[in-house]
Amino acid sequence: MITTKILNLLFILFFSCQCHSARTVTCDRKMAHQTIRQNLKQVKPILSLDKEEARKRVLSLYKAWYRQLPYIVKQYDIPKTAEQLKQKLREEFTKHQDIKDVRVIDMLVIKGQMELKETVNIWKQKGHLMSYFKDTWEPKPTDFLSKFLAGKE
Amino acid sequence: MASLLRQVSKALRAPINRNIAACYQSRLQSTETANVEPPVETRPTVRKFDAVQRTQLKDFGKYVAECLPKYVEKVQLTAGDELEILISPEGILPVLQFLKDHHNCQFANLTDIAGMDIPSRPYRFEIIYNLLSLRFNSRIRVKTYTDELTPVESCNDIFKAANWYEREIWDMYGVFFANHPDLRRILTDYGFEGHPFRKDFPLSGYVEVRYDDEKKRVVIEPLELAQEFRKFELSAPWEQFPNFRRALPVAEEINVDKKE
Amino acid sequence: MLRTTLGKVLTGGSLSPKRVTAVVRAASSQTGKKPEQIEVFIDDIPVKVDPGTTVLQAAAMIGIEIPRFCYHERLAVAGNCRMCLVEVEKSPKPVAACAMPVMKGWRIKTDSEMTKKAREGIMEFLLINHPLDCPICDQGGECDLQDQSMAFGSDRSRFVDIDHTGKRAVEDKDLGPLIKTVMTRCIHCTRCIRFASEVAGVDDLGTTGRGNDMQIGTYVEKMFLSELSGNVIDLCPVGALTSKPYSFTARPWEIRKIDSIDVLDAVGSNIVVSSRTGEVMRIMPRVNEEINEEWIADKSRFSYDGLKRQRLITPMLRDNTGELKPVDWEAALLTVAKQIRNAGSSIGAVAGGFADAEVLVAVKDLLNYLGSEALCTEHTFPLDGSGTDLRSSYLLNNGIAGAEEADFVLLVGTNPRFEAPLLNSRLRKAYVHNELDVALIGPKVDLRYQYQHLGDSPSILQQLANGQHEVNKKLKAAKKPLIIVGSEVLARPDGSAILAAAQKLSASTSPEEQNWRVLNVLHKVASQVAALDIGYTPGVDRIRELNPKVLLLLGADDGAIEKSDLPNDSFIIYLGHHGDHGASIADAILPGVAYTEKQATYVNTEGRAQQTLVAVSPPGRARDDWKIIRALSELLGAKLPYDNLNEIRDRLEEVAPHLTKYGEAETANYFKQAQELSKGIKTQLDNSPFDVKLKELSDYFMTDSISRASPTMAKCVQAVLKQKQSKF
Repeated sequence: MITTKILNLLFILFFSCQCHSARTVTCDRKMAHQTIRQNLKQVKPILSLDKEEARKRVLSLYKAWYRQLPYIVKQYDIPKTAEQLKQKLREEFTKHQDIKDVRVIDMLVIKGQMELKETVNIWKQKGHLMSYFKDTWEPKPTDFLSKFLAGKE
Repeated sequence: MASLLRQVSKALRAPINRNIAACYQSRLQSTETANVEPPVETRPTVRKFDAVQRTQLKDFGKYVAECLPKYVEKVQLTAGDELEILISPEGILPVLQFLKDHHNCQFANLTDIAGMDIPSRPYRFEIIYNLLSLRFNSRIRVKTYTDELTPVESCNDIFKAANWYEREIWDMYGVFFANHPDLRRILTDYGFEGHPFRKDFPLSGYVEVRYDDEKKRVVIEPLELAQEFRKFELSAPWEQFPNFRRALPVAEEINVDKKE
Repeated sequence: MLRTTLGKVLTGGSLSPKRVTAVVRAASSQTGKKPEQIEVFIDDIPVKVDPGTTVLQAAAMIGIEIPRFCYHERLAVAGNCRMCLVEVEKSPKPVAACAMPVMKGWRIKTDSEMTKKAREGIMEFLLINHPLDCPICDQGGECDLQDQSMAFGSDRSRFVDIDHTGKRAVEDKDLGPLIKTVMTRCIHCTRCIRFASEVAGVDDLGTTGRGNDMQIGTYVEKMFLSELSGNVIDLCPVGALTSKPYSFTARPWEIRKIDSIDVLDAVGSNIVVSSRTGEVMRIMPRVNEEINEEWIADKSRFSYDGLKRQRLITPMLRDNTGELKPVDWEAALLTVAKQIRNAGSSIGAVAGGFADAEVLVAVKDLLNYLGSEALCTEHTFPLDGSGTDLRSSYLLNNGIAGAEEADFVLLVGTNPRFEAPLLNSRLRKAYVHNELDVALIGPKVDLRYQYQHLGDSPSILQQLANGQHEVNKKLKAAKKPLIIVGSEVLARPDGSAILAAAQKLSASTSPEEQNWRVLNVLHKVASQVAALDIGYTPGVDRIRELNPKVLLLLGADDGAIEKSDLPNDSFIIYLGHHGDHGASIADAILPGVAYTEKQATYVNTEGRAQQTLVAVSPPGRARDDWKIIRALSELLGAKLPYDNLNEIRDRLEEVAPHLTKYGEAETANYFKQAQELSKGIKTQLDNSPFDVKLKELSDYFMTDSISRASPTMAKCVQAVLKQKQSKF
């Protein structure tokens, strides 16, 4: 699931870059420079207007999660301690530490908030929470010989 | 009434966003249209259109475009007799409000909202509102566009029906609706990653779910297809429906006088 | 036997455009003039065509497909189904587009009322007597009648005979174990008859009766005795002739089609492997004008059921009691690696007929690293003179398609009908349409066309080489002569002398064209050319001399080397996909994959590299052949520098660049040099007569580990033997 998230983000990043470049092609050459400048300036914000605001949102989301963790441990029947959850929480956030686009950060914050809501309201079940830990995932063979013996490409 | 509205809109229209102009151009290039009257249909198996109805729809389309010149980018008839209004994303609320409340429209029923993903376009998603006017026994389709990161105004304040429809589009395409009262997933499972109706989402998904007897719970694991993926081959060497070789154009644009 | 003269071909216009152009090309090169093109209008679209073009061909040029049943571009025009009727302006009646040459200024209407009415009428007539059993018909879903009645038939029925009193019923014919017949479905297009007499050269099929009583059949109870018989299944536009092994197994829309290459002979026919749920359901030909046109031989088409039987699906080791016991890969590889390490450089490899270029190069790299040069192929080729150093001495230099243009062919110790059926069909085509004369030295076999049998003694070849034979005159006079030498006679002890004689003889000819290559060698197995290109030594003599402690058999199943040829303590490793001869003498078995399960390179007898693609996944624990060698090399501490297909293909390209130029035939030259070198050969021709293994149809079906494991092929042999007993 890490991969899917990253993939999605990559796609988002990729397409958001494409948008700018593709738009210029369709524009009149005269207008091209102006348009680029305008497009770079004038994207419709999702929530935050600048980086600082986005940072604040991320931090407050982190705090909200962090404060909920003890209750989550209590409410869900999961074989994990609050400490382990904190570690996982940190991991999930630092996974996206390289993202700079304010709108992408906002989108992730929105999704994180939704997940928090799903967790706190106990809409999620044990399996959903445990899927963050991926404890049944078998590591894929990486070198030729183990791939050969496992019969996997 | 129309003239009065026109007066008002003229004042409103002054600073047209360059951004919109650019998008308008790209839209013109990406949608194929033919502005010709279809020949009289004689084939018994092909649906015929009511000429009167078509003129009425065209006139109505022109009327809407005249009333909302700032937002309406294009008006077209698809499939012969279905009216479509293509608008810029800024205009969703005013256009829908107009279509719902205007005396000559009264499209009080939001039948559904649909999404469409065309990854090659600068704005890859289309959001499509299907409206029904019980008063005039008439339907209209409003289309707008967005991308993954541009929020769209929620029309929940105008149509209460939009609540779940917009949740569905958020869930399936990942289009964010601003000012939606309760935007959260509606169809997918909690913890589901990705948006399944996007064209870059694989048909089989990324993960599979099973009950693990040891762990005594449901586990989510990366996909491993144990069964062959079934695909059906339906092409034949012969042209199957030569009668439909010369089909109607997908959409015919209605000329709206945009001078002034 | 049917044989048209050149004049008849030119005037009759009863040929496909390709053949016409081929013949016309030949003719025009003499006169040097091109006939003027004429203009016609099809649905008001103007099109310029050569005179003699039919309406149907002219329409096809601008993308309008006129429906047809009897017309087939590789067969003579029959014009009896009438489905291709179209309206021509100012003509009172519709004309049959497949048979009518266009005239200047004709306005043809393929979509007019008259055309539609004619089509609907013909379709009604056809359907009057056609059973409505599409749901249980194997052709359903790929049936021309189904498709065309959808597209061009009337959309309502006038058939009122709800009691089913009047539909024609015809008794089914027994055409042998390959072709299933349901003759009630037959619409009398006669494509099968024309194929049998024109391409296969078997005049067994024909019609009896007239009108409503007309029947297609073999006149008497007789099997369809041809090595190309399966092609009538593809030709039949309805479900009258269908595949017997495939019957009721799958539907065309649910099977997956993978383009691949056939490896059961050295021709390398292009095929489509249809698979469903991880199983090969059937094999069909794919059009390749350079190789197989659109036909394939029966062994290629029907032996796929051998891929499911006798397969090696798990690694095995021989234990103390002498039994082969299944083990896992780790144990097998460790044991094999230990044996190889103990043997040091005393290791040899023998490549069989199905080894692909990838595994060949991997084994060569591994053995060279271990310090051994004992890399052999199972099939022998003379090493004296230029040996295998010059490619021209072991290729079918003039190509398979090139055989069509020849005007004199000398076959030496070969039976192309069974060694390369598609080359034989080319020769037959040239014989029928191009006045080809054929002479043969070797056993008198039935090639399905007439030839001059010169005898089977090597002395005749000697006479020819010395220019003392009467056929020398013909060879000298021929503008496009070919000498095709079978690889089997070259495997004789005096093989080098035979090749030298053939080289001398080909040097004495005077072909008209510069690029015409007279000397051709016809191989029997798919791996041979690639193995020789990579640098394997033909023949296993080297192994016998070396007495290696470890011998690696790469699917070598023809018994070229026996356990008794090796020292008692030697360790034999078999890498292959079938439990055949090689596996029975092996101490360790490493299960590889068959050609439908791997992406691999094969080079056909004309030197054309082509690749197979993965159609189904390998059974059990079988692995890609080259990957086994790669894994083994890692355990030996001699890690080969390629981990995936692209990397090993790069290595292939390093060894021989043409191996990765897929689809292109890499031609060879240096005929003169080869002939010069052959003068130093001391070997003399001995007196034993030339012989070929495959003399009769019953010999053809089971020749390798796949076809030997195939029940269908076994049934074919039985049926042919039974047919021999019959008085017909």
